[in-house]
Amino acid sequence: MALPLPPGLTASEVGFLCEMELVTVIPRQRLEGLELLGGPTQPLNPPFPTPLPLWLALLLKKQKRANINPPAWLSVDGLSHIHDFETDTRTAEVFSPSQALPPPAGVRHGYEDYLSSDVIDFAPPFLANSSTTGAQADALPYHWLEVGHLLLTHAADDFDDPEGVRRLLRDLREVRMSKLRKGFKVLDAGAGVKLNGVGGMEIAEVRGFVGGMVDGLRKINRSREESRREREAEDRENGLGGSSYQDDEDDMQL
Amino acid sequence: MSSYYTPSSILTDAQKTPLTFDLLLPHLSPLNNSTPITPGTRLDLPLWLAEMLAVSKPAGPGSASLATLDMPAALGGKVMNALRADPKSVDVRAQAQWFYGLGERMLELFEEEEVVEVLTETFKARALEIADKAQNTRTVQQGDGSSDFMNTLDEDERQRKYSEQPTMAAIP
Repeated sequence: MALPLPPGLTASEVGFLCEMELVTVIPRQRLEGLELLGGPTQPLNPPFPTPLPLWLALLLKKQKRANINPPAWLSVDGLSHIHDFETDTRTAEVFSPSQALPPPAGVRHGYEDYLSSDVIDFAPPFLANSSTTGAQADALPYHWLEVGHLLLTHAADDFDDPEGVRRLLRDLREVRMSKLRKGFKVLDAGAGVKLNGVGGMEIAEVRGFVGGMVDGLRKINRSREESRREREAEDRENGLGGSSYQDDEDDMQL
Repeated sequence: MSSYYTPSSILTDAQKTPLTFDLLLPHLSPLNNSTPITPGTRLDLPLWLAEMLAVSKPAGPGSASLATLDMPAALGGKVMNALRADPKSVDVRAQAQWFYGLGERMLELFEEEEVVEVLTETFKARALEIADKAQNTRTVQQGDGSSDFMNTLDEDERQRKYSEQPTMAAIP
């Protein structure tokens, strides 16, 4: 209450988080590898493409020391493919799938490479190759909207067709928002919406609404819920069965 | 959200609800502008006070309770019928500033399946409408007829509307 911020992340916080994503840069100057808290970066050797965190890539881009190679999905071809998937009547109910997860690394032997300083371990939603040139062309990563927006704002000249990409991004956002909104109509005190493939910014956008709505419905339904529980408790005591497990899900705070 | 110190929950509790007294209560006359309270007196009292009076019983065997609580007009049949007809056309704010809060409190005291039903449907329909309006900040600012609905929001809905706006504005 003291902080007038909505629950969850604000748009700029989500934007800040997405700057952790690796993008491929084509350096114009040499740069030794940097020892950073998140792990060392690779040395830059013109003209070999190198993966760098987005924030560093944007910094070098601003200083005209590097060019950014946009990921494969952030192109007119990739985005229109995804857009077709989203608007197809057969797949109108679902969101386009997210990028494929890397194969599980399995159990590691020994401690030498776990949390060591020379490897960067990515955990979902950060996938190692979701925004570099090695990314899949036909799937959106978790931070698609933020990465797309940042690259279009600061590195528009590295795109073949920045206007086309921008238009497609906007279309895609509207298609997916309308799908999310369709899902909200079924929301209830105990109901849920399937959010597979929904991006970080989209979640931040709807969190306040969905949270507030479910919370409000839960409050209105509390008296009914309590009487139902009392009835069930009575049934159990009388040996009439009822559900055997304690139903705690409705206590969940969003 | 509904903690003891939250201003909105204090103000929710301060909303008036009608109360009918069943006993002669000379010591409670300050509540009634210094005229003594007789059986059958009806007063509009804040929810927190009305609730305590309605549940408390004077000492002694077989005595009735002090007073009986009635449904406030905001949750009466007229408003419920109007909400059932069209949730979006009712000026919820004119009924009670914390309309849903009042509903929650009254439903704790009364078992009214029908009111729960109507309030749930109202809440859902209005929440979707508010989300639509909050998305489109430009028309709200210009006030081209859509602000009529925005003036009818209860306090809770108003706060949710504001919590949705900043994210919308920051995205290109």
